[in-house]
Amino acid sequence: MRFAEFTPYDIVLLLQGLGVTVGLFLITSLIGLVIGVLWGIVRFYRVPVLMQVITFVAEVLKNSPVLVQLFLVFFGVPAFFKLNMTPVSAAVITLSLNTAAFVYVIAVSSIESIGRDQVEAARVFGLSRWQVLRHVIAPQAAAFSIGPLTALLVNQLQVTSLISVIGVLDLAKIGATLNLRTLKPFIVWTAVGILYYLAAKAVASLGAWAEKRLRAHSAFRGL
Amino acid sequence: MLKVENVKKAFGPVTVLDGVNLTVNPGEVVSILGSSGSGKSTLIRCINGLEKLNAGKITVDDFDVSKPKELAEARKRSGTVFQLFNLYPHMTALQNITLAPIEVLKRPKAEAEAEGRSLLAQVGLGDRADAYPAQLSGGQRQRVGICRALAMKPRYLLLDEVTSALDPEMTSEVLDILAKLAKDGTTMVFVTHEIEFARQISNRIVFLEKGVLLVDLPTEKFFADDGGLAQPRVAQFLSKMRKD
Ligand SMILES: Nc1ncnc2c1ncn2[C@@H]1O[C@H](COP(=O)(O)OP(=O)(O)O)[C@@H](O)[C@H]1O
Ligand SMILES: [Mg+2]
Repeated sequence: MRFAEFTPYDIVLLLQGLGVTVGLFLITSLIGLVIGVLWGIVRFYRVPVLMQVITFVAEVLKNSPVLVQLFLVFFGVPAFFKLNMTPVSAAVITLSLNTAAFVYVIAVSSIESIGRDQVEAARVFGLSRWQVLRHVIAPQAAAFSIGPLTALLVNQLQVTSLISVIGVLDLAKIGATLNLRTLKPFIVWTAVGILYYLAAKAVASLGAWAEKRLRAHSAFRGL
Repeated sequence: MLKVENVKKAFGPVTVLDGVNLTVNPGEVVSILGSSGSGKSTLIRCINGLEKLNAGKITVDDFDVSKPKELAEARKRSGTVFQLFNLYPHMTALQNITLAPIEVLKRPKAEAEAEGRSLLAQVGLGDRADAYPAQLSGGQRQRVGICRALAMKPRYLLLDEVTSALDPEMTSEVLDILAKLAKDGTTMVFVTHEIEFARQISNRIVFLEKGVLLVDLPTEKFFADDGGLAQPRVAQFLSKMRKD
């Protein structure tokens, strides 16, 4: 490839990369949130066997490098099960599960932060376990978990850059491509870094906004 | 009728209730006295199904609290007021009161709220319906706790040291309400250290000592020299409480 100067079209490329990164981040965060919360509910109900399986899976996901998980899903699983796996599917599966594992931890600790006394009161008045979860535990656990969740998501946004190594055309991959073409690493990576930073800032502000709203709702906490 | 028959309860090696028998008839106010650690709270928690019995049987209007299918019915018939209020902090006073009527009794929301407001008005909190627990004083919180229990229209009101966490002024706010409830014929199982108050409102007084129900007597008799006071432990307890 010939080296070439920057062109206005590179901005479009960068924005496309940003779009892929943000899109994958949003999808995997959503899936991860749903799965992580469901796992938390399974644990709340103390479903035998399933609960142990989930705890084990979450442990493994939390304590192994995302890159290794990504290679396992992208190279290992297709080879072993003889099926096709696109880079994007591998990225979605890996990042979703990884996010789920951390959401699960946050869900469990938020549920456990709710005082036993309130839960007992609700049970005594005849509310079912589900009704207690829905009306007493969930609203308070949500307020409690929003801070840790925001921190997690900001981190997971950075983690998405790992998927560039399996060929997904995300922001980091576009950065690498531009760098090869222009041989101007300082400018390219500064631009890419700023874009990641702005995206992370957006996530953090959204989290702060949600937290503020939830807290306004929960003036009771005296936080 | 609320019936406790030969109930035993242990936490690990520690026996906390040791063959307790107690019957509470509709319309009665029965006070439970006993020093701290004698098993009063555990007895209440066994009656409302928060603790499993090791032996014996508890029925609320013939519904056995140890049978999962009957516990729900038993719980509809008894209402508990807790020592530390146990309100839901994320809900207003009114929401605290209407949650169970709406969710458990399936009452229409508007109806449950109207009733909740009227209960709050009866305990002098008509203007605090939309306050959160953190915005209320201890005495006000406990009055909400009482309304929450009454909103379920229980046949038996279980009260576990409901004034122990309150200062004297707030205590009298709450006791005034209980006196009124007693006068209206509300059936109550009343765990307390307020001996004089118990004497005024109770039909019967029972004395729990190390998990054993030592004395179960009509109020007059309990305080008589040839009645409760004939028991050295009771006499000792009463004189100690009066000194404090
Ligand atoms: N969940 C529990 N686990 C272990 N011991 C308990 C538990 N609840 C109560 N106990 C013990 O049972 C005894 C009676 O407690 P409690 O019923 O609270 O007494 P009271 O209400 O009369 O002060 C105490 O010795 C207490 O430490
Ligand atoms: Mg107690």
